[in-house]
Amino acid sequence: MGLIIITVLVRILEAMLVVGTIGSIVVLVLSGIEDLKLLFGREEQNYS
Amino acid sequence: MSSFGPTSPSNRVRIVVATSVMLTFISYWRAAAIVLNDLASSAFYACGIAEQAVGKSAPWFIVAVMLFSFAVRAVYVESCSMFVRGGVYKVVKEALGGTLAKLSVSALMFDYILTGPISGVSAGQYIVGLVNETFVTADVHGWIPRAVHNIFHGTPHLNVNLTSVVIALAVTIYYWRENTKGIQESSEKALRVMQITTVMVIILMAWSVFTLLKAGYNPVPLPLPQNLHFSKESLGFLSHSFPEQDVAKMFGLLGILIAFGHSVLAMSGEESLAQVNRELAHPKLKNLKKAAIVIAIYSFVFTGLSALLSVMLIPDAVRVPVYKDNLISGLAMYMWGPLILRLIFRAFVVVVGFLILSGAVNTAIIGSNGVLNRVSEDGVLADWFRFPHRKYGTSSRIINMVVILQILTILASRGNVYVLGEAYAFGVIWSFTFNSLSMLVLRFKYKGDRGWKVPPNITIAGTEIPIGLFSVMLVLLSTALVNLATKSVATLAGVSFSVVFFVIFTVSEHVNRKKHALAKEHMKDHFQLLQRDTVDRGSLGIRPGNVLVPVRDYNTLNHLRWVLEHTDTREQDVVVMTARVSQFGTAAYGLSSEQVFSDYEHSEIFLLERYF
Repeated sequence: MGLIIITVLVRILEAMLVVGTIGSIVVLVLSGIEDLKLLFGREEQNYS
Repeated sequence: MSSFGPTSPSNRVRIVVATSVMLTFISYWRAAAIVLNDLASSAFYACGIAEQAVGKSAPWFIVAVMLFSFAVRAVYVESCSMFVRGGVYKVVKEALGGTLAKLSVSALMFDYILTGPISGVSAGQYIVGLVNETFVTADVHGWIPRAVHNIFHGTPHLNVNLTSVVIALAVTIYYWRENTKGIQESSEKALRVMQITTVMVIILMAWSVFTLLKAGYNPVPLPLPQNLHFSKESLGFLSHSFPEQDVAKMFGLLGILIAFGHSVLAMSGEESLAQVNRELAHPKLKNLKKAAIVIAIYSFVFTGLSALLSVMLIPDAVRVPVYKDNLISGLAMYMWGPLILRLIFRAFVVVVGFLILSGAVNTAIIGSNGVLNRVSEDGVLADWFRFPHRKYGTSSRIINMVVILQILTILASRGNVYVLGEAYAFGVIWSFTFNSLSMLVLRFKYKGDRGWKVPPNITIAGTEIPIGLFSVMLVLLSTALVNLATKSVATLAGVSFSVVFFVIFTVSEHVNRKKHALAKEHMKDHFQLLQRDTVDRGSLGIRPGNVLVPVRDYNTLNHLRWVLEHTDTREQDVVVMTARVSQFGTAAYGLSSEQVFSDYEHSEIFLLERYF
C-alpha cells in the first residue's frame, strides 16, 4: 500500500516535471525571440 | 508626493510636511554586473557540489539549470514590471497574503544567510588550494628550506577546511565592518570585478578550446537514469527507503528530477535582479530586459560551459578527490601548455574567484539587510532592529544579526562547501517557487496593466491561461518538493531556520500592531493625510516668506525645535521638508503611496506633530 502511494506521488511529480519542462522550453524560445528583437531594435511590447 | 494637515480649522496651527524621494539610477550594464557578482560566483562551486551528488553527468544538469534560468528570469522580469520595490516579499504579500509572505521571506533570508558562508568558504578553498599546490611545486624543485620541511614533516601544507573557515570569517568580518559604516560595494566596483572576470572567462574558454583540439577530452555521460550515481547523502531521507543506486532506475524521471534539484544552486542570485530593478535608469523595463539578457547569456557561458569543460578536461582521478571545491583552478591546471603559464593562470583564477566570491559575501549582507529593512518598514520586524547606529546611522542591529548567523553557519560547516551548498539550495528553490506561484495567482487576482508577461498566454472563453508561467512554476514546485526528500540537511536546517524567522516576524508584527494602534489613532485625530502629484507653494496654500526646515531623522529635530521657538507661526509658515535619499530607483509604472510613504515617514509625521 505504502509503495503504491509513493509510486502515485512520484508519477505526479514526474508529470509536473514533463509538462513544466515542455512549457519552459516554449517560454525559452518565445522569450529568446523577444530578446533578439530587443537587441536588434525591433521590439514589440508584450503589454497586457 | 506631499502630505499635509487640515487647513480649514482656524484654531489649529497649519502644518505642512513635504516628502520626496531622491533617486539614483544606473545603466543596465552596471545592473547586470551587480547581479552577476552574485549569480556568476556560483560557477566556482556549483558543478563540484553537483558532481559529488549525482556523478559525472552533473555538467549536463548545470547546463539545464542555466537554460531553465532563462525562464525563471522571465518570471522575475514580469514581477519587476509590476512591483518595483519588494522582490519576493512584496509579490507574495500581494498574491498570497502576509503569512505566506513572511514564510517566503524566511526562505529568502536562509538563502541570503548561506550566500555569505558558501562564497567565503569557497574563496578560501581556492586560495588554500593554490597555496598548497605552490608548496608542492616548490618542493619538487627543491625550493623549500629543510627547516620548513622539518616543521611540516614533509611538504608544507595548510589544512584546507580550517584555513578556508578562517578566510571566510575574515572576509565576513571585513564586510560586516564596511556595512556598519555604510560603505557599500558600489556598482562601479561590481562592474570592475565583472570586467576582470570577463577577461578570465575569455582566456578560460579560448584556452580550453585549444586544449580540446590539442589533447582531446573525456566524454561527459549523457543525463540518463543509468548514468546517475547518487551518493548516500544525495538521496537524503530516500536513502533509508531505497538502496543507493536503485532509485534512479526504479523511477527514471525521478532520478533526473533529483539530479536537477542538486544542481539548482547554479542559478542562485536571480533574486538580485529584483533588487537592482529599483536602481535601473529609464526606460526601466527595457533596461531590465537588457540586463536580464546579459545576465542569462553570461551565466550560461561561464557556469554552464565551464562545468562541461571541467569534466571534459580534468582527469577523473583528480577531479573530485583534489579539485571538487576549486574546480576552475583544476581546469586551469589541465590546460595544454607549460606549467608556469598554467600556474600563473591558476593564480589569476584565484584572484578573480576571491574578488567575485567576496563580492557575493558583501551582496549577501546588503541583500539581507535590505530585505529585513523592507519587512520592518511594514511592521513585520520589531522597531528595535531598526535603531540606527550611534555613529554611522546604519541599521547595525540587523547587520549584526545577519553576520552573527553567517559566522555561526561558517563555524558549523567546518569549511565543508558540499554541506553549505546542499543547504543553500533550500532557500534558492523555495524563494523561486513562492515567487512563481504568487505571480501565477496574481494573473487571476490582479488584472490591471503590467509591463510585460511571460509568454505564451492563450485566451479561452475570455479567460487568459498563463501557460508559460504555469510551466515554470511546475518545474520549480516539483524540484522544491523533491529536494525536501533528498536534501535532508537542507530540509532540517531550512525548515528550522524558516520557522524561527517566521515566529520572529509574527511576534514582532503583533507587538508592533499593538504599539502603533494608539499612535495611528492619535494621528487620525490630528492629521488628514492627502496626496498630491506635485509639491508647490500654491497647491499647499503656503504664504510667501515661509521658513523651510529640512529634516531627515525623527531622532534629530533640535533645529526644528529652535525654529518653532523663534518663529511666530501666525505671521510666518514653517515648512518641514524631508527627502529620503534612496539607493534604489523608482517605478516606471508609478509607486503606490505605501511604497514611497513608509512607516518611517509616518513615525516622522507623528513625532513632528508632538513638536507643534
